[in-house]
This record gives sequence, C-alpha cells and structure tokens, in this order.
Amino acid sequence: MQYFQRFGVDETLIRNTLSHALQHGGDHADLFVQHRVSNSLVLEDGEVNRAYTSASIGAGVRVIKGDQQGYAFTEDLSPLSLKRAAETAAAIADGPARAVPQTFHVQQTPSRYPLKMRWEDVRAEQKLPILRNVNAQTLGMDPRIKKVSVSFADETGAVLIADSTGRISEDVQPMTRVFLSCVAEQDGKRETNGWNVAGRTGFDWYTTERLDKLVKRAVDKTLILFDAVPPPVGEMPVVLGAGSSGILLHEAIGHGMEADFNRKGTSIFSDKLGKKVAQPFVSIVDDGTQEHARGAINVDDEGNAVGSTTLVQNGIMNSYLHDAISAKHYGVKPTGSGRRESYQHVPQPRMRSTYMLPGPHKKDEIISSVKEGIYCDSFSNGQVNIGPGDFTFYVTNGWLIEDGKLTKPIKDVNIIGNGPKVLELIDMVADDLEIDEGGWTCGKNGQSVPVSQGMPTVRVSSMTVGGRKS
Amino acid sequence: MARDSLMDQARNAASLARKKGANDAAVVSYQSRNVDVTWRDGKIEKITEATSRGLGLSLYVDGKYSSVSTNDLRPEALDRFVEEAVALTRTLTADPFRKLPEPSLYAGQAKVDLQLDDPAYDSVTAVDRRKKAEALEVAARNVKRSDAILSVTTRCGDAIGESARVHTNGFEGERKDTSFYVGATVSVKDADGRRPQESQYASSRFHDAMPPVEEIGLQASQRALGRLGARKMGSGVFTIAVENRAGGGLVGRLMGPLSAGSLQQKRSFYEDRLNTQIGSKLLHLTDDPLVVRGLSSRLYDGEGIAAKVLPVFDGGVVKTVYVDTYYGRKLGMAPTTGGSSNLVWKLGDKNQDALLAQLKNGVLITGFLGGNSNGTTGDFSMGVEGFRVVDGQIAEPVSEMNVSGNHLELWKQLTAVGNDPYIYSSMGTPTLVFEGVQLAGT
Repeated sequence: MQYFQRFGVDETLIRNTLSHALQHGGDHADLFVQHRVSNSLVLEDGEVNRAYTSASIGAGVRVIKGDQQGYAFTEDLSPLSLKRAAETAAAIADGPARAVPQTFHVQQTPSRYPLKMRWEDVRAEQKLPILRNVNAQTLGMDPRIKKVSVSFADETGAVLIADSTGRISEDVQPMTRVFLSCVAEQDGKRETNGWNVAGRTGFDWYTTERLDKLVKRAVDKTLILFDAVPPPVGEMPVVLGAGSSGILLHEAIGHGMEADFNRKGTSIFSDKLGKKVAQPFVSIVDDGTQEHARGAINVDDEGNAVGSTTLVQNGIMNSYLHDAISAKHYGVKPTGSGRRESYQHVPQPRMRSTYMLPGPHKKDEIISSVKEGIYCDSFSNGQVNIGPGDFTFYVTNGWLIEDGKLTKPIKDVNIIGNGPKVLELIDMVADDLEIDEGGWTCGKNGQSVPVSQGMPTVRVSSMTVGGRKS
Repeated sequence: MARDSLMDQARNAASLARKKGANDAAVVSYQSRNVDVTWRDGKIEKITEATSRGLGLSLYVDGKYSSVSTNDLRPEALDRFVEEAVALTRTLTADPFRKLPEPSLYAGQAKVDLQLDDPAYDSVTAVDRRKKAEALEVAARNVKRSDAILSVTTRCGDAIGESARVHTNGFEGERKDTSFYVGATVSVKDADGRRPQESQYASSRFHDAMPPVEEIGLQASQRALGRLGARKMGSGVFTIAVENRAGGGLVGRLMGPLSAGSLQQKRSFYEDRLNTQIGSKLLHLTDDPLVVRGLSSRLYDGEGIAAKVLPVFDGGVVKTVYVDTYYGRKLGMAPTTGGSSNLVWKLGDKNQDALLAQLKNGVLITGFLGGNSNGTTGDFSMGVEGFRVVDGQIAEPVSEMNVSGNHLELWKQLTAVGNDPYIYSSMGTPTLVFEGVQLAGT
C-alpha cells in the first residue's frame, strides 16, 4: 500500500469519498490525489546563486453524468475536506445515489521511466557541478559569448487515481530538464539563443556526451544568427528538419484530433475519420509509451491504460485522442489520452509524444528538390485555432534554400498554415525520424502538460512565411 | 477552532525561517476561491470549485538566496520543508546583490481606497451563475444567420483572493480582491468546412459593473459570423489598424524587454535607449497601479515597494525601466517596480470606425495567432487575422496572414491612437494605427 504511506489516504477514505460524490447519482466518479515536488537551480553571471522549490499536495473529485462534469479539489486531505469536495462535485447530478464498489483493486501499470536513483535522493551539491561546467564550457566555446544562464530542474510527481469502477492506479512520474541560454556580441550587434534537453529520466541521463551536445547546439545556434539575412515573405515550399519540427504535427493536426473538440463539432477534423487527408506515405502517431520521453506516461490521469494511437495511417485519418467522456461518446476504448496539469484540473484529451513515421525519401533529395524556399531547423513556440484550422510556429533558426542548396541562415520568422491543407501538401517524407529531446510544454484551456514530438525531414510544397523585406 | 489569519500565518512562517537559520525572509500567505460554470448548447457542461491556499518564502541565508513555496501547511510538514529549504540555500554561492528591499522603499503607500474587493461577493449564488451562462447562449443564438452556428459555449464565474506579505525587515501588507467574469465562444460552419470560432469576454472587480450578458453573447456570435469566408490575401506593405482588444498582444511584446533584468542580462533592445525616442509622439503611456477598481491595481508590488504612477513612454521617449531591487543593485539603478500594473494611454479623439474611415486600403487586425518577438533585437513575426479595409469601410475577412517587423521601427510608424481603451484588460490598449507594415499572405 504505497499510496497509503505517501498520501495518508486508505481504501475506506477512497470509498467514502466516492460514495459522497455519487450521492446524487451520475455515471462515474473519480478521485485524483497528487503530491509533487519541483526543484530548480539557476546559474547566472557565473554563479549558481538561486534555488527554487515548490511542493504541493491536493486531491480532486469529479463526477461525470453523460458529458457533464462536476469538479472540486481540496489541498487538505482530511476526511471532512474530501467529503466537502465530493459534495460540491456531486451537484452536477440530481438523481438517486449510486453505490460504489466494496473493494478496490490496484491496477498493474508498465514501468516506462525507471530511475537508478530517485530525484529525492540527489543532493543539490551533486547538481551544482553540472551547471558550473556547462557555463564554463559555453563561455569557452567562443569569445563572442558574453552571458550564459543555465537552469537545472527536476520534479517528482506521485499520483493516485481511484474511480467508481473499483480501479486504483498509482504512478510516480519523474521529470528533469536542463536549459542553457546565451547572449553573444559581434561588431556591436547582439544575439540570443539557447537549447534545452528534458525527459522522464534520472541524474545519470546527463552524460558528458549529452551535455557537450547541449552546449554546442546552444552556441552554434546563437553565433549563426549574426550571419542571418532577412527571411522571405509569402507562400513558398517549406522543408522541416528532422526532430523538433514535430511542432508542425502538434499544431496542424494533433490538437484538432483531440476528441473533445470533435464531439462538440468544433474541430476542422470533426467529420474526417476514415477519409484520405494526406499522401499514402504519411503516417502520424501520438505515443505515450516511449521510455523516458517527456511525453510518456504509465497510466493516464483517469486511470486508463496508455498506448500508441495512430492518428493518420498511410494518409487516412484513423483515430482521435480520447478521454473517458469522448470515448464513451464515440463508443470506443479510451486511448489513454486523458491528462491534467494537476489535481486542480479536470482531465482533457491531450497529446503525449506526437511524431510522423519515416517515409520513402532522403533528406538530401528533399532539400535539392526546392528551387526557392526555406529550411526550418529550430523552433520556440506554436499555436492553432482548432475550428478554422489555422496554425503557426515560430522558427528561431532556419536557412534559405536556393537552387536546391541551403545558402544563408535566417532567424525569427513565423510560419502560418492551415492544418488540413498543409497535411495534403506534405509531398516528401524522409527516412530520418528523430524524436526531439526538448522540454516542450503544451497549453490547452489554461492547463499545461509536458509533451514530446518528433519528425523525419519533410517537405510541405507551400506555406506562408512571415518574413521581412530588407 | 479559529484558523490563524493569513497575516498570522505569514508572521509565523517568517519566524520559523529565522529559527531554522535564515537571516531574513519575505513571506506571502494566500488563499483563493474560484467558482466557475461552463455551459454548452443548452445545458451545463462543467461546474468547478477551486479553493487553494499556500505559502511562498524568499529565504536569505548567509548572503545566499532561494525562493520556495508549499501548500502543505501541517505544522510538522512546514517545519521540515523550511528546514530543508534553508539547508538547500546554504549549498549555493553567496550573492551580494540579493537582499530584502531597503525599508525606505516600503514608505509612502498611497492613501486611497482602490476598491478591489466587492462587499457583495458572497451574495452571488450558483443559480445566478447558471442563469447568466444560459442567458449568454440565448443571446449568442439570437442573431441573423444563427443557422450557421455549430456550438455555443459560455462561462460565468467569480473569484476571491486574499494575501498577506511579511518581510523580516519591517514590511507588512494585506490585500483582498474579487473578480467576476463572463464569456461566450461561438463556432460557426463555413462553406468550405472550416469552423471559425470567436469569443467575447468581460470582467470586473465589482459585480454591479459587469455589462449585460446579452451584449457579450451577441458580440461573440457577431464576431464568429464575421469570420465566415475568410481568406488569405496577397503579401504587401499596408497601413494596419489593431483592434483595442487585440492590441495588448503587441504592446506586451514592446514592454517585455523593458526590465532591469533584461538589460543586465544583455537581452534588451532598450539598452542605452532610456530617455531616447523609440516611437512616434503618439506612443504615450503611463503605468498606473492606483486606478480605482483596476484589474492590476495595487498599493505595493511583489517586493513590498510602495506603488507609484510611472511615466513609461512620453511622446515616444522611454521614461521608465521596470527595476526590481536585485537587478537595480546589479546595474546601479534606483528601483522603480519589478513589473507593470495598469497601462494608461494618452488617448486620441476618434473611435475605431472613425479611424478606419481614414484608411483607403488597409487591414484591421482583430486577433494574433502565435508568433514571437525577440527581445534582444526587437524583431517580431506573428500570425494575424482580421478584415481588409477598403475606402474607409470594413470589407472581406482575412486569415492565415502574418505580420512582421522590428519594434524599434514599428512604433515610429504609429500614426493614430483611438479613444477606446479596452476595459477588460489591464493593458487598456486603444485602437492603434501603424503605417507601412509588412504582411505576408499569398
């Protein structure tokens, strides 16, 4: 009974809370208990001179009736407070009470992020040399680097999910991220850039090789900005580099495939299941099973099993991402996509790790096929309007493609497109799939969850590039 | 048993921090409650009630610094948490710039009643919220072309928050505020399968200052229906008008690097630009934390510094940098305040319609979509949607477009400021007109 020790919540309290929740009926009730400790250390101006720690505990009670939900949470796990939260959530229903199971069973879950050492057992003194070495190495790479900041974050989140079907699921979810940012000066000009790596991993993940790569990428991506030319303006072919270009999938299709928007009829993909939406060599998945990925989960935040969901199979729209409510609405099995930011929030269908499977083309072949266009290399953020399907992503580093060659670097340019149109316009997919290790966070209705993304090199035959004429 | 007041909790936590070895501490104790009803297509979609509380502590231990927070307030858990936080702080490098603010900065709080707390807050009932949410939908559907509406989602909610702040060098402060909000989101079906969506929203610190929900619901569906048939237009350089509601997105990017932290870290295009002209004469705004019932009003800031009205841009000239005490010490600059409050523009004399009437061939931007701005260089590139403006009249809707430029050029091209500040945001942005702006489309 690990959960009992961690939260002080036992089976009787769980049963009583769910009983209070179903006092006016309803189809389903669940209790989500979470304890989370996050730490970060920050190096600025050469010294690790600040630390941040946040600890939180709380429990949310939800009652579902059809597609209606009542939700309340408490940060005091006493029987009385849990009862009050349950009574508040119960107000969504207005029928006779429903019984809850007499016994509960703890579900078996996979172990997708085993750690050699728990973050609770890693002392700050062990982390400090990493920040200091990354700083020294970054400054040592090039005299043009003038400012460096490094942050080292780790987190341990323990969750317990119990529901009115008698299931109990537990998970302990680690997370870590190192973020490196630098400022460089050259001929009176200044440029900033950075890089970061993240995963549900432990301290030993920070190998010399991984940290060397982090430093090199951050420095290279900053210094190259001095050579950048103004990005072009208007519609043109856009080549997306392998790795973090998965941001295109996240915005162009991922959100639109979250089933809550579809059951409400407000997504542009609402009536596209089973239809051809892309070339036959385009297959896109959202996968919660990748070991140690930032977007991996052993169980979703509704207690459902997590697998890999094929959104698009050989160009045909295959499946939405479901939470419990949408799965019931569509009469399908949940996809394990019901996620929430914390005990303060209701679950929603969310992405985990979204990527495109490798295709038949070669990276070089793709670049050489473009007469005039751009190549996108790294990104900071993206956004989508689900209904019309318009989406954007912001390119921090890229290249002009002229006559089939990467010629001059470009920077700071937003790309805008329309999800279904862009899917149709993906006309080349390379065989070089790379899952990005970046610390991506996805926001939806005010809730943030960690996600991963990946991509092989891909060509979109036309998108609007928001550049500047010189 | 009476619960300790927030002030008692904050004082006790400050004493605990000292007992555990901190030389100084700044503590905030807070609690909040938020009740929200979401309504969709004829019935309640979701009711939520959120009650939260917690403590935040900034610890100063032998010249070293950390900032920690917890919501586990059980005495033994808090004791252990603070003890571990002090031990963690000791492992860091001492930082001579990290201290509590000089107590002189606490002095001189304005003697005004900001009216942030509606005494009628407790009189709002669950039935009131539900009725308003329902009425929002009815209003949204009560339009011509309502057959194009796919779905209407509305929200009605309110929140109350209280906090107490204690610094071990003498500062104590308390605040309480309430807020009320309603919103409606309408999805419509376009001929080509697109499903444009638009929202309208209102909020206020006082219940009786809220606009009629009918107005908000109607505006949401009019906005959504206005998106029907939106197309990309050709790339080019245009005069753009930015709607007051959308303008905060642009002004926020202008203000972002205007902080001592950005300057000290060499990440600001404002370096060496204090007291210089960076925009046209019309770029004229102040930071006013003392607006009665203001959404970002305060008597003291996040460091306890007494709030004052600050000129930010005066006729296009940069007059103020947001200086907190830490980066102020590093740069040798006097602290102003760490972050913005309510922005108040020097307004023009025309509303949006009158400003558009002067545009021969331009674009009205009603929303931004993603994009970003580089605070070091001022370059920006952001997705936009809105309408073409032809011969002074709003013409066809446009979408899937992008605007780009550099803030150090854009604000020099500001040629008109409206008389219509957006009242549901503390940014308070009026309609803004810029000449010669690069848009990307086909």
